[in-house]
Amino acid sequence: MKMPLRILAGLCVLALGLAATRAQAEAPRLIIGAVYVGSTNDYGYNKSFHDALAQVARELPGVKVIEAENVPESADAERVMEGMVQQGAKLIFPTSFGHKDFARKVAKRHRDVAFEHPGDGNTEKNFGVFFGSTQIAWYAMGVSAGKMTRTHKLGFVIGMPIGYALGNVNAFQMGARSVNPKAKTVVVVTGGWSDKAKEAGAANALLDQGCDVVAMHVDSPATIIQTVEARGGMSIGFQSTEARALAPKGWITGLGFTWTPFFLEVAKNVMAGKFRGEAVYQGLGGMVAIAPFGPSVPADVQKLVNDAATKIKKGFNPFTGPITDNTGSVVLPPGASIGNDQMGNFNWYVEGVIGKVR
Amino acid sequence: MSTTLMLGVLAGAILSGTSLLYATLGETIVERSGLVNLGLEGILLIGASVGFSVTAVTGNAWLGLGAAAAAGCLANLLFGWLVVTRKANQLASGLALMFFGFGVSALVGAPHVGAVIVGLPKWRPAWLGAQSWVQATTLFNYDLLTWLAIPAALLVWWCLFRTRWGLGVRAVGESPGAAFASGRNPAALQFQALSAGGLLGGLAGAHLSLSLTLTWAEYMTAGRGFIAIALVIFSKWNPLRAVAGALLFGGAEALQLQLQARGSLISPFLLDMTPYLLTLLVLLAWGGARRLAAPASLGRTFYGSD
Repeated sequence: MKMPLRILAGLCVLALGLAATRAQAEAPRLIIGAVYVGSTNDYGYNKSFHDALAQVARELPGVKVIEAENVPESADAERVMEGMVQQGAKLIFPTSFGHKDFARKVAKRHRDVAFEHPGDGNTEKNFGVFFGSTQIAWYAMGVSAGKMTRTHKLGFVIGMPIGYALGNVNAFQMGARSVNPKAKTVVVVTGGWSDKAKEAGAANALLDQGCDVVAMHVDSPATIIQTVEARGGMSIGFQSTEARALAPKGWITGLGFTWTPFFLEVAKNVMAGKFRGEAVYQGLGGMVAIAPFGPSVPADVQKLVNDAATKIKKGFNPFTGPITDNTGSVVLPPGASIGNDQMGNFNWYVEGVIGKVR
Repeated sequence: MSTTLMLGVLAGAILSGTSLLYATLGETIVERSGLVNLGLEGILLIGASVGFSVTAVTGNAWLGLGAAAAAGCLANLLFGWLVVTRKANQLASGLALMFFGFGVSALVGAPHVGAVIVGLPKWRPAWLGAQSWVQATTLFNYDLLTWLAIPAALLVWWCLFRTRWGLGVRAVGESPGAAFASGRNPAALQFQALSAGGLLGGLAGAHLSLSLTLTWAEYMTAGRGFIAIALVIFSKWNPLRAVAGALLFGGAEALQLQLQARGSLISPFLLDMTPYLLTLLVLLAWGGARRLAAPASLGRTFYGSD
């Protein structure tokens, strides 16, 4: 019995060796690892990253993407990334904000592997941070809502009152006010990023109290858009521009992330050995795009929105003083402004927003 | 309170109270038979996920509803196998069932995240739809589950308190030994109670995914299973009081959302605590009353009568 076993073992080694040489012959020029906290077909955040990486693999020959879905924000993430490094990944995207600390640990151990994290914090030689700055782009959404509303009451559902979400709401209200002096934005906080039943309740409550346009900042816009559509209201989407499929009648427009150009650049840098971790924040025209308009949006409104978008791309910043908050105190003196790197710091609502931060 | 606020709160209370009520009715039957199922949250998730997945695949929400009820029933039978047949600890088994529910629902639902479904059909009587105060809200525009919520509570009450079967279930919950001695089979009755409870729990979950939100997302129940367990205590194991309880708890959620939508300056986080505060108050007020006490053998394992 001993001989055959040894022969079998020898054959196995031989087979493995052959497989290895085969793999070497077709070895990809770059393996990219991507870690997602949820599912990649969520019509939202995770899908936006998955789609962009698929596009990178299509455009750059020799790039292979390995993906892991539903990776919790725990030590599991560290193990998954470590496994990706062992598989030869030289560029890793830990796509959830909470993957940060685990990614940094792995990055410390493997200085030859590049990491790009959508968030903030220090950059290192092999650790870059990036994000799409949506706040100023929401100004253009506000322009569309301000023109489309008949009740002059706009609704905005947010998961948690964090600075980034407040910034979205503030720019939205300022955009609406710029074309409609009577426009007010009512904020409802659900208390979680994915409490679907409460999102439905929040959308219903806003419609019950007279809002006719509803915007949102939650993980997936699907429930809110469908609830509003069923009751004949209008909606403005967020996270993925594909959400318009959910509202054939009431869709106005929306914002979505477009990571592809930035990812392409990073992948090329890694392949050329030129990667350097940086902090990259881009708004409209960079990592953020405006979704197609719905059928009910007249041409003159579309033009106003596109004009606002062009203005923003040229550097217009609505967060330039003087700005008064909704309690009447001046939060930004004349001349001062808030840049894309400070969007997480909002702790006030601008004049015209109906809501309370805490 | 102005009329629009009251109507809005009522409409919201009914919408979010529907799944709470079905879940509470199911858990009430189970607890009346002497079993505590802390895994209700998992049952709701399984119902929501299976219901949504089957609807996404077949395109028929009724099939989804049936599958959700069957899946809830099956999950509760698994719990029964653990705690009735294997005599495992009920609290530990319930928590295990909850985590099992998290996992199974995520697995089943994962391929269908983002699917667009046609949910349960809604129906509003024409003469009610003609009223202007109705048109401005979601009032009376309900799916079958919401229309049948109160009849379901009446049915559960009738089964528990007016039938021989209900007497048996309650006897097992009070004293399985005595029930056994009088010729009843405690294990069989508990399994029947679990089947009915799981079926109702599955429907409760399905209402969330097939009617209220039209989506599936991991852990979308967000604690509603636990609110329902609190509601069972709140309603003192009585299906009719559960109707009032579900409306009150659903109303607490609706009230805080409506108040925000009106621009009230009360902290939403404070209002969010209301359901749990109410439960504590009820326990304080009537906690010791014998007539309203929990089934005497609730949570105890019956090892047989020897």
